Amino acid sequence: MLGQGSIRVYRALITQGFQVLSAYRVSLFLYALFSFIRPIIFLAAWVAVAESQGGRLGAFSKADIGGYFVITILVTHLSAAWDFFEFEFEIRRGSLSPKLLRPLHPINYAIVQNVLWKLITSLAVVPVAIAIAITFEARFATTPGHVALGAVSAVLGASIAFVFGWVFASVAFWTTRVHAVVTLYQRAAFIFAGQIAPLTLLPGPLFAVAMALPFAYMLGVPTEILRGGVDLGTGALMVVGQVVWLAVGIALYRVVWAAGLRQYSAVGA
Amino acid sequence: MRLLRLFIRTELQFALEYRVNLLLEVMQMVVVAGTSIAAVLILFTYTEVMNGWTLAQMIVVLGVYYVVQGAEELVMQPSFERFMEHVREGTLDFILLKPVSSQFMVSFRHFQTVQTLQVLLGLGVVVAGLSRLASDVTPASALAFAVTLACGFVLVYALLLFLSTLAFWFVRVDNLLAIFWAFIDAGRFPTDIYPGWLRLTMSTVIPVGIAVTIPAKAIAGLVDLQTLGLILLATVVAWVVSRAFWQRGLRSYTGASA
Repeated sequence: MLGQGSIRVYRALITQGFQVLSAYRVSLFLYALFSFIRPIIFLAAWVAVAESQGGRLGAFSKADIGGYFVITILVTHLSAAWDFFEFEFEIRRGSLSPKLLRPLHPINYAIVQNVLWKLITSLAVVPVAIAIAITFEARFATTPGHVALGAVSAVLGASIAFVFGWVFASVAFWTTRVHAVVTLYQRAAFIFAGQIAPLTLLPGPLFAVAMALPFAYMLGVPTEILRGGVDLGTGALMVVGQVVWLAVGIALYRVVWAAGLRQYSAVGA
Repeated sequence: MRLLRLFIRTELQFALEYRVNLLLEVMQMVVVAGTSIAAVLILFTYTEVMNGWTLAQMIVVLGVYYVVQGAEELVMQPSFERFMEHVREGTLDFILLKPVSSQFMVSFRHFQTVQTLQVLLGLGVVVAGLSRLASDVTPASALAFAVTLACGFVLVYALLLFLSTLAFWFVRVDNLLAIFWAFIDAGRFPTDIYPGWLRLTMSTVIPVGIAVTIPAKAIAGLVDLQTLGLILLATVVAWVVSRAFWQRGLRSYTGASA
């Protein structure tokens, strides 16, 4: 599938993507704010809690909490997915129809835009993460093995988030407005992905639920591996979990997209 | 005042037009507030006090946060967003021609009436927090709460007016409001949990921290007269500066086709 032709197509897409992004240089970086504000908020909160308990919470020292949330900034940024909003807009305005007529599946454009945005804006996000790491004296127990496994895990996490983003975006084929569904999705991620607390600090039952849902595999799992919070064996097991969720996500996406398209053409006809 | 009532009535009718949507919006607010409270509860499974703040006080902070955010989304956000659209499309001239204060027209023309429910929800959370607070609410602390909360609204308003006024020169500033959205999230916790330079950013540059933290402290009787005076002073200054800036911007606006 990835022959000469598709390499050429992708090269064109990347050029086009760069042009689109450079037209909105400022807003580009403003939206990166969302990657680090929330991790900083909860980092400060957990450090305050740890201080009240003499500087330690279970397996976490203050420096470990710092390490966790600094990595969270990076992984949140990598796994950002915003296609539901764009998709709703396109369906409502009808601008999706011409895109569907093109020989290339619309997801290809979205992938290129997504990756390019992350590459460019990491110029701003990485320095912030470093500044926060210094401010909170973050500690990492990362070994080269963790970096290698963590890199794979981060890419998998971003892919899971992206695919599930498209599954929920496809809901717009039926409801046109997806805001309510997206809110539910995002608030579930808020609790269970590892945004508000390292997964192991979640109270027992919540931890069990988190490990059974896809959200933790987008954010919490790559973060724990990258900060060296789990040994490589456990990390590898978690990565297997990610592969399973990615497969589930892709399967779901295919079903929902195909059914949605049938629904959509029925409306437009 | 009569105009304001009229604006609110038409917007209310507009909102009731889409009942399912309304129901969904309410559901979303409850889910968002519920999960936020859950996050605080999770933090407090590990401790009794966080930087001097008890669970009950934290719930009050969260309640005030939703009141401020709700009020902001009730009128300021929709109105200012529409204002920027007017500048961009050149339709602002029609508003300036009306025989009403243009600042009033721009700031209070559009309402998202659903957000009233968010304000009420926030107040409910405040009351729930207060009922678990050790100290009783005295008339003095209630008054301090009302005053600081009003100051908070004005501070947020002044900042938004300031940012919106930039539209006269730069035309496209709707992204600047995105900064505000990103930072307002930080208001959910009291500003004093942040270390040095972060606290400064969270409370002075973006006054959301002040707008939320100080009223929550006031109602617990933790704000002295000196702080109260400072807040009042800051509010007046912010109001005067942003208003002057608005008028300066208005003078340099030449219309879309001029």
